[in-house]
Amino acid sequence: MTPADALGALLGDDERASGSELDIFSVHNFEPGSVYRTKARMHGVKRTRVTPQAAEAKRLKDQAKIEAYVALQTEVMQRKQAKEYTPEALKRTSDLLDLNPEYYTVWNYRRHILLRGLFPSCAPAEIVNLLAADLRLTTAYLQIHPKVYWIWNHRMWCLENVPLGPGPDASDEPGSSAAATTGKEGREGWRNEFWKTELRMLEAMLDADPRNFHAWGYRRYVVRSLPASFTPKRTPQDELRYTQKKIEANFSNFSAWHLRTKLLGGLWEEMDPGEVKAAKDAEFELVTQALWTDPNDQSGWLYHRWLIGAAPPEDVLRREVKNIRELHETEPDSNWCMNALAHHCTLLSTMAASDEGEKLRLEARGLYERLEVVDADRKERYRDMAQRTLS
Amino acid sequence: MSKILDIPLHVSYIQNLDKKKDFGYHLTEHLRLNGVYWGLTALFIMSREDALDRAEMIHYVKRCWDEEAAGTFGAHPGHDGHILATLSAIQIMAMQDALDEVDTDRVVQFLLSLIRPDGAVAGDSFGETDTRFSYILIQCLTLLGRMDVLDRDIHRLAREAILENIRGSMNFDGGFGTEPGAESHGGQVWVCVAALALLDRLDVVDRDLLGAWLSERQLPNGGLNGRPEKLEDVCYSWWDVAALSILGRLHWINRDKLIAFIIGAQDLEGGGIADRPGDWVDVFHTVFGLAGLSLVGYPGLEDIDPLYCMPAKVIRRMGIEKGYTALSRMSST
Ligand SMILES: [Zn+2]
Repeated sequence: MTPADALGALLGDDERASGSELDIFSVHNFEPGSVYRTKARMHGVKRTRVTPQAAEAKRLKDQAKIEAYVALQTEVMQRKQAKEYTPEALKRTSDLLDLNPEYYTVWNYRRHILLRGLFPSCAPAEIVNLLAADLRLTTAYLQIHPKVYWIWNHRMWCLENVPLGPGPDASDEPGSSAAATTGKEGREGWRNEFWKTELRMLEAMLDADPRNFHAWGYRRYVVRSLPASFTPKRTPQDELRYTQKKIEANFSNFSAWHLRTKLLGGLWEEMDPGEVKAAKDAEFELVTQALWTDPNDQSGWLYHRWLIGAAPPEDVLRREVKNIRELHETEPDSNWCMNALAHHCTLLSTMAASDEGEKLRLEARGLYERLEVVDADRKERYRDMAQRTLS
Repeated sequence: MSKILDIPLHVSYIQNLDKKKDFGYHLTEHLRLNGVYWGLTALFIMSREDALDRAEMIHYVKRCWDEEAAGTFGAHPGHDGHILATLSAIQIMAMQDALDEVDTDRVVQFLLSLIRPDGAVAGDSFGETDTRFSYILIQCLTLLGRMDVLDRDIHRLAREAILENIRGSMNFDGGFGTEPGAESHGGQVWVCVAALALLDRLDVVDRDLLGAWLSERQLPNGGLNGRPEKLEDVCYSWWDVAALSILGRLHWINRDKLIAFIIGAQDLEGGGIADRPGDWVDVFHTVFGLAGLSLVGYPGLEDIDPLYCMPAKVIRRMGIEKGYTALSRMSST
């Protein structure tokens, strides 16, 4: 099954976002002053020559579409103004979000409709149905707009409002954390189902784009907030296995390497020194594979630098310096290899006796001088770094 | 491909943004106030801040005020208040020297309501947190001259908590992510570094380590990416490059290649700058392309302050400038 099929399988057909305009209207995935870009074109869409006449013709053609959109927008905003929290209003927000899933004010209104208008008169099972419908809706949107913050936010909000149950105590208020403390499995049945769906959805999202940092972030949230009675339990080892799978599929998936640094950092704090050493050696082996596979890929080198750390045991550092020297001989033009070697030589020079230390600093300076030539874009950096080895 | 920045064409592109009301224009209403900030900043960089009507702009910003939901600014009249729109509003009013027309107390109250006990900052009352919002909160308070509220009364621990949250979002590679645990990203690096600079706490950063990571964002074609093994994009000519400037490591990339890349991303028929050469332009990439060019000393442009992404002369007038290193401006000849 392709990732797209897997995602499709999570959707009811009627829940797929409609409107072909959606695919030309994309958000920017980052901007602090304000998140999105103001243009109705996707990132990376080639510019084509449009004459003023053609543009005007398109505008006229779009006129009906624009009028319908503006009318719908006006209607929804009027209902919002009037504090109308009804099923009909909810339906109209879906219609508008179908056309523009970035309309954060409408997402806010939708949540108010649910919280203030619908939930109070709903049985918990009905709340569950409403939230499940919203998850299907956002799944459809994410398929087309995997990087829209507002859609991910709404999903998180849905999870936070799944009621306890089904079961005798199901009348507890939504979002109550009572279940986590009582640990009674039956009361978290709905929550367990929702979280299971999220893990499946995330698997598909990260298969489709293994570097989507929204999906990785949401995954951290989902794993962190798993219901207490969720089975099978998800341990840091499970997450580690997941990163391994991603890395083995593609060594240059830095997002997976990154998560590994976080997981292992935590795990190693709980191990005794002997176990930590063995575990680190296994990591060195994994990353060495990546480095020899493609010495020009940054991901492995960054991970290797993390493994070395600020104060490695001398024997480990010596071993790695030796290994990287070998790689450097095979791949004399790999910048990252030279960079790593220069850095590690400088580090080792602080541990070595003065003669050897001077030799290592010389080696580092030689590498930086070579880098100034072969990686001239960053020559000033290498000059500065060479200078640092003198002090 | 032209080697020259076509300033008059870009000015008219920005002046005309509001004129062609196509479907895309309507679909981006939730970004309108941000768009005004991007356009005005771009005009300032090109010394043409007079090209949009000041009174009209101030009037529009005031109409974005959301009295009911939040007591702050939304992205357009009728839209809900949010910290993202709030920053754009405050920046526009600061650039237009009209901050006295903002209800500062209400905005400060809104901002303070977003600080979580762990120092994370939310975007609105629904509570999504992100280090972008930490930066925005600090920049807004600085522009409003109200940073002192972070040391007072029930908020007296807020400054330290926000700092700790940003520090917790720092990774082994020296960069920063959206929250503790998240992967380093050029945009998040800029907001966190700029926030730390505004807090006078750049000591938290390993400048050589992060500077190296940032300089490795530059690809052979001169453009920069936001994360390892990703494609270049003109907007990182701001995020990454502004961070390098604040860290005093701007000389660690190839200036000439970056200039050529941004210049190549212009649309020389309709004006504006795209995410990369040959793509559709937008005002977002236009301002960040121009801002990047200004920072690396492209001739004939106004200085931009990398801590604020606002004209340096405005920041100086307000007396809130901090240190950074831009490259010296090249002569036009
Ligand atoms: Zn961009």
